[in-house]
Amino acid sequence: MLTEGQKKLLEELKNNLAKSVPEAKISQSDYVLTGYHLEFSSSKVGMRRVAKEMRSRRFNLETVTAVDFIDSFEIVYLYFNYNQDNIRVMVRIRVPKDEPPFTVSAVYSEAIWLEREVYDFFGIQFKEHPDLRRILNPDDADYFPLLKNFGKTTITGEIDDMLC
Amino acid sequence: MTMKTIDDININERLYQLNLGPQHPSTHGVLHFLLTLDGEVVVKAEMLIGYTHRGHEKMAENRIYEQFYPNSARMDYLSGMIFNTGYCEAVEKLCGIEVPKRARYIRVITSELNRVASHLLGVMDFVMGIGAYTPFLYGWDDREIILDLLETITGSRLTYNYSRFGGVRVDIDQTFCDSARRFIDRMRERFKLYNDLITGNIIFIKRTVGVGVISKDVALDYGVTGPTLRGSGVNYDVRKSEPYSSYEDFNFEIPTKEEGDCMARYLVRLAEIEQSLRIIEQAMNNLPDGPIRADVPCFITPPAGDCYHSFESARGAVGYYIVSDGTRIPYRLKVRAPSFSNLFVMSKIIPGHFVADLVAIFGSIDVTVPEIDR
Repeated sequence: MLTEGQKKLLEELKNNLAKSVPEAKISQSDYVLTGYHLEFSSSKVGMRRVAKEMRSRRFNLETVTAVDFIDSFEIVYLYFNYNQDNIRVMVRIRVPKDEPPFTVSAVYSEAIWLEREVYDFFGIQFKEHPDLRRILNPDDADYFPLLKNFGKTTITGEIDDMLC
Repeated sequence: MTMKTIDDININERLYQLNLGPQHPSTHGVLHFLLTLDGEVVVKAEMLIGYTHRGHEKMAENRIYEQFYPNSARMDYLSGMIFNTGYCEAVEKLCGIEVPKRARYIRVITSELNRVASHLLGVMDFVMGIGAYTPFLYGWDDREIILDLLETITGSRLTYNYSRFGGVRVDIDQTFCDSARRFIDRMRERFKLYNDLITGNIIFIKRTVGVGVISKDVALDYGVTGPTLRGSGVNYDVRKSEPYSSYEDFNFEIPTKEEGDCMARYLVRLAEIEQSLRIIEQAMNNLPDGPIRADVPCFITPPAGDCYHSFESARGAVGYYIVSDGTRIPYRLKVRAPSFSNLFVMSKIIPGHFVADLVAIFGSIDVTVPEIDR
């Protein structure tokens, strides 16, 4: 159940985000099932404008990650605030594989390492990132482990055999 | 030939680099600091991580949901129970599984016992890092009781595999509750000893007060969470802000300190142990009867979609982000590791401190390296 303060903050956020990124799709989602209150999805643009808006409202950047959908990447940003009216905002940006997104590290310093991790595992070259190097994998690695075409197994077949 | 005096030497010639780690007793595992020093003062600190990277996120994409149970506790081996429970709760959220109340209470009891064990180790390791060996042995003694207690129901001492989708594996009995109560009484007595040994010790005070201050703004900028954030005066705990398991049923406080230095973080951890003991006591007094596991199929198939589940480990806010494509295998599983962000803030606060203070600051932040590397 949402409190009055949460409802008010959600409305404000929705309006402000819609104003700053008009091309985005913003919708409320079921917190009990998904764990986030507000879902923001757009294609290619908007990550920096959202980050600035969130920073001005003292939201905390929880994580930055990516999902490989074969034909494109989805960059996922999660924001959460510390004060009484807790709201989690899920920001999804679809980017084509040959057109990397801009960094948000100028707004949140934490993103320097988080985006380095995304680069390390997906090979996404964030534009204007101050320090884009390998972080967990070896410096001389020539692979990006979390891409779907890396280390592909036929496990689905094996499991079905096991269960039958 | 004229001799060079210290003033003639270019600043760049004076700076030199020091490798602290990856094998070093005070780096809690395999963490590598590359320090640029001017004499004994750190000018720049870089953390090189990844020495224990095992690829848990990739492993998750190659196995069914049930097969990932044991992986979850191996990320943070010091609060494995909390990670294990959190993973189960994330998948339960994705599938919409309702967990029986008794199971949720047992999860709270075991998680809080694990948190006490983890905080004891964190505090004592920190104290040992700056030279006090005796308190470490006392703390280890207390922690051993918890490990023995959890071993009776889980069968393991660190990397627990106890939670199941829809409940827990083994029920707790009267013997367990009695032993836990005895432990709580003993632990409350021990606080006096710890205060005498550590908190009032003049060497400890000189090494920690005013050292490694993390301000509120820096903490927000770097995404710091957990006792480290609460030591900087931000009242944020996932157990209060988004109650999971059944934390909404219990009375407890979130200890915070305004100073943001090593001492504040140490005091917050000690106060959190007291609060955890309170929670365990309440949960055992009100432990409901009933089943310990919901009726869940042997192999679950979550619907397509995604979910994010956040929970509070001993080090901060952990998050599991799971994307499902409607098969038995996760399409993507991302773990938000609190130590990852908590460690990065060191590159901001270390410059200007002595090398010896680095060990104190690092100990007071209390990170686990396998959790950073995943």
